[in-house]
Amino acid sequence: MLEAYKKQFLSPKVQFIVISEKGDILDSDDVLFPFKKEKNIIHCHPFFESVIPLLNHTENSLSFSCVHIGEKICDINCKTFRDQDPLIIIHDLTDHYQSLQTVTQKRNETVIESEILTLHNTYLQEKEAFKRTFIANFSHEIRNPLTGVFSFTEMLEKTSLSDEQYDLVEVVKALCQDLNIMINDILDLSKIEVGKFAVKNEIFNFTELLETTDFIYGTKARQKKLQFRMHVDKKLPKYIEGDKTRIKQVLTNVIENAIKFTEEGHIDLYVKLNHKRANKVNIQFEITDTGIGIPKKHINDIFTSFTQVHKDNKYSGTGLGLTIVKNLVTLMQGEIAVESEPGKGTSIKFNLRLKFPINYKEPQKKDRDDNKVLFNPKKKHNILLVEDNKISQIIVLKILSSQGAFYLDIAENGQQAMERVEETQYDLILLDIRLPDVTGYELAPVIRSLPEKKYAKIPIVALSGSLMGDNKTKYKKSAMNDVLQKPFQEQQLLKTLHKFLK
Amino acid sequence: MTASKKIVLLGHFGVGKTSLVRRFVEDTFSDNYKVTIGVHILKKEVKLPENQINLIIWDIEGSEDITRTRSSYLLGSHGFIYVFDTTRKSTYENLAADLEHIRSNYNDVPVLVVGNKSDLVTRAHLRENKQHFSLAQYFSSAKTGENVETLFEDLTKKLIE
Ligand SMILES: Nc1nc2c(ncn2[C@@H]2O[C@H](COP(=O)(O)OP(=O)(O)OP(=O)(O)O)[C@@H](O)[C@H]2O)c(=O)[nH]1
Ligand SMILES: [Mg+2]
Repeated sequence: MLEAYKKQFLSPKVQFIVISEKGDILDSDDVLFPFKKEKNIIHCHPFFESVIPLLNHTENSLSFSCVHIGEKICDINCKTFRDQDPLIIIHDLTDHYQSLQTVTQKRNETVIESEILTLHNTYLQEKEAFKRTFIANFSHEIRNPLTGVFSFTEMLEKTSLSDEQYDLVEVVKALCQDLNIMINDILDLSKIEVGKFAVKNEIFNFTELLETTDFIYGTKARQKKLQFRMHVDKKLPKYIEGDKTRIKQVLTNVIENAIKFTEEGHIDLYVKLNHKRANKVNIQFEITDTGIGIPKKHINDIFTSFTQVHKDNKYSGTGLGLTIVKNLVTLMQGEIAVESEPGKGTSIKFNLRLKFPINYKEPQKKDRDDNKVLFNPKKKHNILLVEDNKISQIIVLKILSSQGAFYLDIAENGQQAMERVEETQYDLILLDIRLPDVTGYELAPVIRSLPEKKYAKIPIVALSGSLMGDNKTKYKKSAMNDVLQKPFQEQQLLKTLHKFLK
Repeated sequence: MTASKKIVLLGHFGVGKTSLVRRFVEDTFSDNYKVTIGVHILKKEVKLPENQINLIIWDIEGSEDITRTRSSYLLGSHGFIYVFDTTRKSTYENLAADLEHIRSNYNDVPVLVVGNKSDLVTRAHLRENKQHFSLAQYFSSAKTGENVETLFEDLTKKLIE
C-alpha cells in the first residue's frame, strides 16, 4: 500500500549525471531531463557550459541553488573526485521556488511602488514650491507699477477735472484698488505658505476695533437692505495684545463674505469670552448669515485656495479670502469651523488665543489740535450719503467711523435716495452731483419739496469733482447748503459736517 | 571553436537586468515586471570583426545588498555589468561602495556600469545626480534599445583583450 502511494505521489525529483572532465555525458538516469542523447553536457544548457571550466581533479563540490533549467527550477550539485569521473546531481525544487517567487514578486513590487510614490511626491512638492516662489515674486513685481498707476491717478484726480472726468478717474482708482487687494491676498498667502509670515504683538483697543466693524458693516449691510447685528460679551477685555491688522483682516474677510452671499435677512457677529487666565485670553468669534449656504460636499473646499464654491459671476473674487482667514487663524493658534445649510445660511466659528495687558494705562490722548474737529460720540447724527462711487463711499465711511458719532446710510442713486429719505429722518445729506440716474442739482430740490417739514431745512452738502465755471452758483440755485470738492481731506469733511450739526 | 565567456548582471531588483538581457538576446521588451529568482542563464553569440564569442549571460536575482549575492553565481565570471535604475535613487546611492566591493573581490574582472531606463529621465535629472551618475559608463534603455547592444559588445571586447 505504502509503496503504491509513494509511486503515485512521490514523483522522482533528482537526476544523476556522470560526465567526463570535458563534459562528455558518460551516463544519466534522465529522471528530469533527457540528457543522455546528447554527446556533451554543454549542449544541454548554457549553465553547464560555464560550469565545466570550473571542474578539476581535486575532491570538490560546487553547489548552485535556484537555477532555471528549461521549465524547472533546480539546485545543482557538481562533485569532482581525485580519481573518478565528475558527478552532477540535479534537484527539482520548482514548487518550492515558485512559491518563493510569488512572495518576492509582491515584496519587490511594493518597495518599488513606494519608492516611485515618494519620488512623485518630491517632484510635486518641488513643483509646488516653484509655483509659490513664482507667484510671490510675480505679485511683488506687479505691485510696483500698480502703485505707480495709483499714485499718478491720485495726482490726476487733484487737477481740475469736470465731474465726468473725475468719475472716470475714480473708476480707474477703484480698479487699481481691487487689483491691489487681490495681489495683497496672493502675497499674504504665499508668505504664509513659505512660513515667512510673522504675527505682530501689540496692545490695541479691541472695543474700538469692534465698534468700527459694527459701523462699517452696519452701513454696508443696510446698503443691501440687510441687518448687521453685533453681540459682544461684556466680560471681554478692552485692550488686547495681538496683531490688530490681521484680526481685522480675518473679521473683514468673513463678514464681507457673509454679506456677499446673503440676499435677505441678517448677519450676526458674536464675540464671546471663552476663558481668561493670567494674561491669556481666548476669544470666540461667530459670524452667522441667512445666505445661500454651502452644499455639504463643498464645505471642506471653502478654505482651499482658488476654489469658489459658487462659481457664479455674480459672486466675484479670487476665492482666496477664506483661505487666508484659515491660515491667519491657525497662525494665531486658533481653530476655525464652518457649518452650513443650503438655502438657510452659514455659520463660521473661530477662536483666537491672544494676550491682554493687565493694569494697562490708556495712553493719554494727545493734546487736541485746536483746529481738529471732534464729535461727541454720545450724540449720534443720522447721515445719508448719496454716492455711487465705491471709493468715495469707503472714504466717507472711514472718516465717519473714526468719530463714533454717526449713523450712516448709503444710497447709490436718486431712486434709492428717495426711498431712504422717506423711511428715515436724516440730520444731513451728502449728495454726489453725478449719479447714475439723476444729477444732484435735480435731486436736491425734489428732497426739499417733500411734505415732511424737516426736509425743507435739512442741510444738503454737494460732493463734486469740479468747481469750475459757474458751478458754484449752480449749487446755491439748486438749494444746496454747501459743496465739497473731491477728493477732500478728513478735516474738510468733518468741519463741514460740524458747521451744520452743532 | 568559439570561446565562451561568462558574464553576470548585478544590481538591485527591478533595475532592468532581465529586460536588458531580453533586449540583447531576443530583441523584445515587456513593461510587466516579473521578478527573477535565482538565475536564468542565456547564451548569445557575439560576432566581433576578428572574433566570435559565446557570451553566457547570468541574469541573477536583484538584491539591495551586493554582499549577500550568492557567490556561487559569480564564480568564474569573466565580466560584470552593474545595472542601476536612473529613476530610483535607492538603486544608485551606494554605487561607489558596491563597485568597491566587486573590485576587491574580483580584482581583474572588468565591470561596466550602466544607468538603465534612460528613456524615463530628463537631462536635468541626470545633471542633478551627476555625483552618482559620473560613475556610469553607459545610459541605456531596454525599452527603446538605446545603448543595449553597444554595452554588451563593449564588454565582450574587454573580455578578449
Ligand atoms: N521605461 C523603462 N522600463 C524598463 C526599462 N528596463 C526595465 N524596465 C521595466 O522595469 C521593470 C523591471 O525590469 P526587470 O528587467 O524585470 O528588472 P530586473 O533588474 O531584472 O529585476 P529583478 O529580476 O527583480 O532583479 C519592468 O517593469 C520593466 O518593464 C527601461 O529601459 N525603460
Ligand atoms: Mg530580472
